[in-house]
Amino acid sequence: MTLWEIPAKNSAQIDALSQALNPAVAARLSEMGFTPGQDVYCLRRSPLQGPLVVQLGDCVYSLERDVANQIHLAHAS
Amino acid sequence: MKRIILVGKPNCGKSLLFNQLTGLRQKVANFPGVTVELKSGQFKEFELVDFPGTYSLHTLSKDEEIAVVKLKEAMQQENTAVVVCVLDATRMERSLVFGLQVQALAKAHDKTVVFVLNMIDEVRRYGFDIDTTQLADELGSPVFALSAKTLIGLSEFQKALPEIARQPEQYRNEQSAIAPENALIVARELSKNHGVNADVVLKKQNRIDSFMLNNVFGGVAFLFIMFFLFQSIFTWATPLMDAVEFAIGELAVWVTGFTGEGMTTDFLSDAIFGGIGSFLVFVPQIMVLTLIIGVLEDSGYLARAALICHKPLSYFGLSGRSFIPYLSGHACAIPAIMAARTIESPRKRLFTMMTIPLMSCSARLPVYALLIAVLIPADATLMGIFNLQGVAFFGLYLFGIVTALLVSFFLHKFTHQHDEKSDMPFILELPTYRLPHWKPLMYRVVNSGLAFIKRAGPVIFWVSVVIWVLGYFPQHGGLENSYLGKIGHFIEPIFEPLGLDWRYGVAILMSFLAREVFVGALGTLFGIEGADENISGLAENIQADGLALGAGIGLLLFYVVALQCVATVAVLRAETGKARIAAGLVVAYGLLAYIIALLAANLIN
Repeated sequence: MTLWEIPAKNSAQIDALSQALNPAVAARLSEMGFTPGQDVYCLRRSPLQGPLVVQLGDCVYSLERDVANQIHLAHAS
Repeated sequence: MKRIILVGKPNCGKSLLFNQLTGLRQKVANFPGVTVELKSGQFKEFELVDFPGTYSLHTLSKDEEIAVVKLKEAMQQENTAVVVCVLDATRMERSLVFGLQVQALAKAHDKTVVFVLNMIDEVRRYGFDIDTTQLADELGSPVFALSAKTLIGLSEFQKALPEIARQPEQYRNEQSAIAPENALIVARELSKNHGVNADVVLKKQNRIDSFMLNNVFGGVAFLFIMFFLFQSIFTWATPLMDAVEFAIGELAVWVTGFTGEGMTTDFLSDAIFGGIGSFLVFVPQIMVLTLIIGVLEDSGYLARAALICHKPLSYFGLSGRSFIPYLSGHACAIPAIMAARTIESPRKRLFTMMTIPLMSCSARLPVYALLIAVLIPADATLMGIFNLQGVAFFGLYLFGIVTALLVSFFLHKFTHQHDEKSDMPFILELPTYRLPHWKPLMYRVVNSGLAFIKRAGPVIFWVSVVIWVLGYFPQHGGLENSYLGKIGHFIEPIFEPLGLDWRYGVAILMSFLAREVFVGALGTLFGIEGADENISGLAENIQADGLALGAGIGLLLFYVVALQCVATVAVLRAETGKARIAAGLVVAYGLLAYIIALLAANLIN
């Protein structure tokens, strides 16, 4: 399961970033806190497959599908 | 002079701290083609340099890369005494990830870092506090907690910073320096021990977002805010624009009172006050627009607007942040192109800037009004309900927007990314909603006006002088027998297939100064003085003279598409950093406009 598939108002734990991700983008995501073991909470999903909004640590981020699809989740909880 | 440099992530309140420390005087250095801007000012005996906010020292885009390269250069320089790293005290973990990168870089260049925990007032309001002594010990660098907004802790910092900058070596603790590869873990540990509970801080923000991003209410709020922005640039800027026009007119009368009748007076009143005046009129509009966009950005709404618009615009190779520049382009392309600076992806920013000139700016309004009055009777309706003139106006706006989206779509599909730093995925941090502070806003507004004058001023000056000379000499027989009239006759074969004679050719040539000049120029050629104030009189004369419907529609569409405004071209050149792109657009839009007008003239009878 990837972050893109997470339903709104659900939390999950990040498993890993996809290898297919551009290394610079992967590095940025790690700095933003998208690291293995980190809890992430989906605040909302936008209509028409628009960007989703997640809370992670002390920040709220919005990611588009192409990025969110590259973030793998361990399990939804 | 010794230098102190200021770094921090976006939205950490760095600009306000800079303004609080330096006071009124500041210099701004721009780098062509990128949004990187270095501000410098005087603080005590030091030069304080404000670096652009960057999310990380590991860069994603070319703009970030240039900012970081400049930062590294500054770190190497002998006279850089201290690096002040501003952190958002309410978001310790993410701020520290960046802070520790800066500390490592500074250490590699033997520079001292000072950490500022800004927005400590908010932390205290949530009922927390931060032990700066303990944190300084663990970080191995001095730490100050302050609020640049409420001024808490600011005077202590102002006293301490010069002391540190005079003897920076004494404020470094090499032992406790943290290895960069551990930055993520250390940042997490430190924020766990010292930071604020994230859920408490984000509660208010998430509550507001549940309205502002709501599918129904959020959409209504978005439309309302954008309508407000659109109104402000059209309606509220008008009295200011009139005031500028009035002041320039008065100045012209006063000055030409000394020169008497003759060529000098004609030159001063027409070329200098007339030409430069028609350009200075746009300064208030640009400043009002900058103010509103600044308020939207500093309050945190701009990021939400980008989120809402992202999906629909992404089909055309644009970003969610392209929306506001597009909207602004309906007032004037120049502030719109400058507003494109907020687009984080250089590629999407370029597409946005390249297509903004297709938005029907306010200088085209008089041209539309004149030609629509010529072609469509005032009482004509569409299906008996809609006024046909109004429908035509709407159609022209729509034609510009659709053309812009199509051009962007083709650029997106058929050009290749040269390197991966030219595009960025949509990863957006949603900042906390905050009340904007007037100080950084004021500087932004003033700088936007100055930047416009500096960029577009020289070219407007020369174009206005050249057009005046061509239209004034030789001094007999009026505009028809001037050099400009001769050029018009000479190029008549170009406009003939469009169903237009030399008079339109001359008016189109004169439009290069500003499109609304078209009306005045045609007025002179059709024998109507002061045509700007008497559009219906001129329209009647043109009707009597006979302008074919197809040729008229073609001319209207020509004005939608052609890039005629030299000021826009100058700003495009400066903002893209490439003369090639600006010149290419003039040619490409010119050809496209010509072909469309040709088709309209020949297909519509």
